[in-house]
Amino acid sequence: MTDMINTDMEEINIATDVLVLGGGLTGIKAASEIAGSGYKVILVEKDAELGSQKEPETLVGLKEASKGLQDFEDKITAESNVEILTQARLVSAAGVTGDFTARLSKGEEVIEHKVGAIVVATDFSAGVLNENYGLSLGDNVLAQSQMAELLASEAGKQKFANKTVAFLVGLGQDGNPLVMERVLKSVLALQEIEGCDAYIYAGDLKVASNGLERMYKESREKGAVYFKLTEKPEIVENGKTISFFDPVARRGIEISPDFIVVEEELRADDLNKDIAEILRINVGPSGFLQNDNVHFFPVRSNREGIFVAGSTREISGLPSAWTDVENIAVEVKDLLGDGKKSVAKNKAVVNEDKCVICLTCYRCCPHGAIYWGDKKAIISPVACQGCGICASECPMDAIQIGGFNDEEIIEQVKSGVVSGNGAPSILAFCCQNSAFEAGEMADMFQMQLPDGLRMIKVPCAGKIDLDYILNAFVSGADGVLVMACHPGNCKSENGNTFAQWRVNEAYRMMEEAGLEKDRLCFAGIASNMGSDFSHIVVDMEQKINELGLSPLK
Amino acid sequence: MSTKNKKVMVVGGGIAGLTAAWELSRFNIDVELIEKTPFLGGYAIRYCCKATDECRQCGACTVEAMLKNVVEEPKIKVHLATEVEKINNNGKISVNLKKSSYQPDSDTQGVVRGYSKNNSPLHVIVDKKKCEENPDAVPEGAVELDALGFSGKLDVDAVVLASGFQPFDAEKKGTYGYKKFPNVITGLDLECIMREQGAVVRPSDGKIAQKIAFIQCVGSRDERLGNLWCSQVCCPYALRMAEKSKHKNVDAQITVFYMDIQNVGKDYAGFYEKCKTDFRFVRNIPVDIFPMENGSLSMRYMNEEDGLCINEEFDLVVLSVGIMPGPDNSNLSDLFGVGLNEDGFFAGIDKLNSTSTLNDGIFLAGTVAGPKSIAASKAHAGQAASEVIKHLGVS
Repeated sequence: MTDMINTDMEEINIATDVLVLGGGLTGIKAASEIAGSGYKVILVEKDAELGSQKEPETLVGLKEASKGLQDFEDKITAESNVEILTQARLVSAAGVTGDFTARLSKGEEVIEHKVGAIVVATDFSAGVLNENYGLSLGDNVLAQSQMAELLASEAGKQKFANKTVAFLVGLGQDGNPLVMERVLKSVLALQEIEGCDAYIYAGDLKVASNGLERMYKESREKGAVYFKLTEKPEIVENGKTISFFDPVARRGIEISPDFIVVEEELRADDLNKDIAEILRINVGPSGFLQNDNVHFFPVRSNREGIFVAGSTREISGLPSAWTDVENIAVEVKDLLGDGKKSVAKNKAVVNEDKCVICLTCYRCCPHGAIYWGDKKAIISPVACQGCGICASECPMDAIQIGGFNDEEIIEQVKSGVVSGNGAPSILAFCCQNSAFEAGEMADMFQMQLPDGLRMIKVPCAGKIDLDYILNAFVSGADGVLVMACHPGNCKSENGNTFAQWRVNEAYRMMEEAGLEKDRLCFAGIASNMGSDFSHIVVDMEQKINELGLSPLK
Repeated sequence: MSTKNKKVMVVGGGIAGLTAAWELSRFNIDVELIEKTPFLGGYAIRYCCKATDECRQCGACTVEAMLKNVVEEPKIKVHLATEVEKINNNGKISVNLKKSSYQPDSDTQGVVRGYSKNNSPLHVIVDKKKCEENPDAVPEGAVELDALGFSGKLDVDAVVLASGFQPFDAEKKGTYGYKKFPNVITGLDLECIMREQGAVVRPSDGKIAQKIAFIQCVGSRDERLGNLWCSQVCCPYALRMAEKSKHKNVDAQITVFYMDIQNVGKDYAGFYEKCKTDFRFVRNIPVDIFPMENGSLSMRYMNEEDGLCINEEFDLVVLSVGIMPGPDNSNLSDLFGVGLNEDGFFAGIDKLNSTSTLNDGIFLAGTVAGPKSIAASKAHAGQAASEVIKHLGVS
C-alpha cells in the first residue's frame, strides 16, 4: 500500500477470474487451490470427464493420488466458484494479464470469458519404446503400462506365477526417475508373486528422486537381478532369449524370459503445441511448455499471468506437480490480489506523436505485453517487465522506459568517459541482472578493475541501443563493453541476442569508420561472477593499451 | 486484511529460507529470519556460475538475486548468528532465541568475509585479539560477531524450518585422502575455487589443473554408510562443472567415475551427449588414491575391459560429495516436535505435501526435507509459503 504514495503510480482494475487448462490431477488441484483463495475458476478439459487421462495407480503410481483425486473432485464440484467445462478447448486468448479474453469452444457453442490469469496443466502421455529394441508387442512382450495394469488385479498377477520376467529400461532412451519408479514398482510387485523371477536390463538407473534408491535396494534384496549395461543386450526372436557379454565375469549371460517388459517414454501432451501458439508462450525442450531458463522456474512462462504446472513444463511426478500448483496459487494471489493493482505509470511510455503502429514492438516483446489501439501501441503496465527491448528496437524512437530514459543514458555515457592518469576510458554497458551485479561484486571484493572503467546500468542488455555504443566512441571512450546474461539466462529471453546483434552492427560501422574492432567487446556474464568480470575488463584494458588511445579523442 | 500483520519465523537463511521469507513478505506478513552463521545464503551462495558459452541452468545466480530481494525487503527482519533455544506451540507459538555458537570453517586472520556482496555486514570479526594485533587487516565496516546475535523472545503465528543440509564429510572416505592430499578436493571446494578465481587451479601449487577426475556418489547411494539415497544434485553439478572446466581450458582432460549418471537440466539428453564427447566416462567407483611426489594423485580403479585394477595419474581429484541431513537435525527434531524420516531428513505429512508437518503451524522448506537442487529448494519453499498462507488465512 505504501506504493500508492508514489505519484508515479496509478491504480487499475484487473479481471480476477482464472482459466485452468487441463482437467487431469494437476489441473483439478490447481482449480481447487485457486478457488480456495477466493477467485472464480474456469476449468477446461478436452475429454468428457475430469481426471480421465491419468490413471493414478499405473501412471503416477501413488496411492495418495487416487484418494486425492476423489477428494479434489468432490471439492471442486461442490465449489460454487469452479465452473467445469468438459469436452471443451481454448480457441483464442487475446489481451494481456489482468485482461485476457479467452474464447472456449464446447461443441457448437463458443464461450467468452474475461480472465486475469491462465494456468496450463496439461498431461503427458506414455509411448512404448519397443521399436528401439526391435521388439513387437504381443503375448510375451508387454509395455510398462500393460504390466502395471495386470499387476493391479489378482487375476493379472497370477499370469506371472513361476515365470521369468525381463525388464528393459534406460537402454532405448535415457529415461528419467519417473520411468524408473514405474519399473521399480512393478519389480517389487512381481516379487510378491510365487516363483516369479525378475531381471532388469538397465542403462543408467535414474534414481534421482526421493525413495528410489531404497526401492532399488529392496528389490535386489528380494532377489531381483540388475544387469547394468552401456548398450542394448542382444535380443533374439522377439524376446525368446536375451544375452550380453559381462566384462567383469568375462562370460556371456543368456536368459530366456517368459515375458519382456519394455520401458515407456513420457512425452509432452499433444495439446501443448496449439496451446503455446494460442497463448504465445514458448515451447521448451521436448515439447514441454517452458524454456530451460532458471528465472522462470518453477512455474512462470515468458508471459506474465500465464503459468505452467507439472507435466506441462517437464516430466514430473505428482509430488512436484503439487509443488508447482502451490507455487502458482501464491503467484496468482500476488498478481491478482483484490482486483485493484497499483502500477508504475512510466514503466514503458509510448509517444503517440511518434508511433506509427508498425508493430515492431509487438513482435519483439518477449513478454507478449504489447497490443495496439487506434493511435498507438499500448504497453500493459502489468505485463511489461521493463526490459526495454521494444524501446531500442522501435524505428521511430517512440518508447521510453521509466528510470532508463534515452537522454539520461546518453548523459551517463558522456560523463562516463573519463580521462585521468592516462588510463584508457572504458565504458561498460551492464545488464542490471547480471553484469552490473558482477561489477559491484568485483569492486566490493577488491578484485582488479581498470581506473578508467565506468559501468552504465541498463534494465536488460536488450536496452543497449546502437546509439549508446556509437555515442560512447564519439564521446571519446577508448573501449566499450556490452555485458549481458549468458544465452539462456536472460530474464527477457533474448535481450542478450538483441544486444549481440547491435554489437555486430556497431562492428560493421566501426570498420567503415576505420575504428579498431577490438575496442568493442561483447561478453556474457552472471551476477555471481565478480572474478570473471574482473578478468574481462582487465583483458579489455590490456587490449586497448596495445592499441593506444582512441583516434576519435 | 486483518489490522495486525501475521508474523512468521523462518529458521535458516539458505536458499529455501530466503525464498520462503521473501514469498511470505509479498503478502504483508512480517518475517523473522533466523540464521545460525553470521551470513545469509547458506551453501548455495558459495556456488559459482557454471555457464560456458551458454547458461547451464545451475541456478547459482538466482541465489544472489533472492538474497538481494531479502536484504532489500523491510518486512523481513534478519537475525544473524542466532539460533532457536526453545519453542512452545500451543496454538500460539512462542520462541526463545539465543546467540549461536558459531565457529568459522577454516582458520582466519580474525575476520571472516561473506560470500556475496549482498551479505550485510560483509566482514565479521570472529577473533578480536587477532584483529587488535593487526588492525590494518580489518576492513571498514567489519562488525563484531558478538554484536550480531539476538537473545530474546518472539511470538509468531507459524514457523518455517529451512535449516538445510550438510555436505558429506569426505574425510569419512579415508582411502580418498581428503584433507591429507591437497589436490583431492570436494565439489563444494571447487565451487569456491571457481567463484573466487574463475579457473580450476590446484590448491597445492596454484597451477591450472590439466588432468581432472570427478568421483561421483561420494557419501550418496552408499550401503556401507547406510546412506540409501541419491543426492540428486551431484551429477548435475559435477557435469556442469566439468563442462565449465573444459570451457575455461580446452586442453583439460576430464574423467568422470560413476555408477549411474542422473539427468541434468531439461534438455538432459543433448547435454549428456555433449559431455560424452568432451569427457571420458568410467562406470566404476575408484577404491584408492595415492599421493605422488609432484602433488599429483595416483588412482586405482577397475578397468572395464578386462576387469583388472589399474593405476592412473591425475592432477586434481574432485569428490562429488552428496547431501546429508543437517548436523542439528536430531536436536531440531526434538525442539520443533517434528519427526525425521528413515534417512534422517525431516518428514512432511505425505508424499504430495512434504512441507506441512504433523505439528500444526510448523512447516518445512528445502533440503531439510531431503536432497534438492537450488531450483527444487526454491519451489519447495514456495510450496511451504503457500501452505503457511493457507494456515494463517491471509488474503
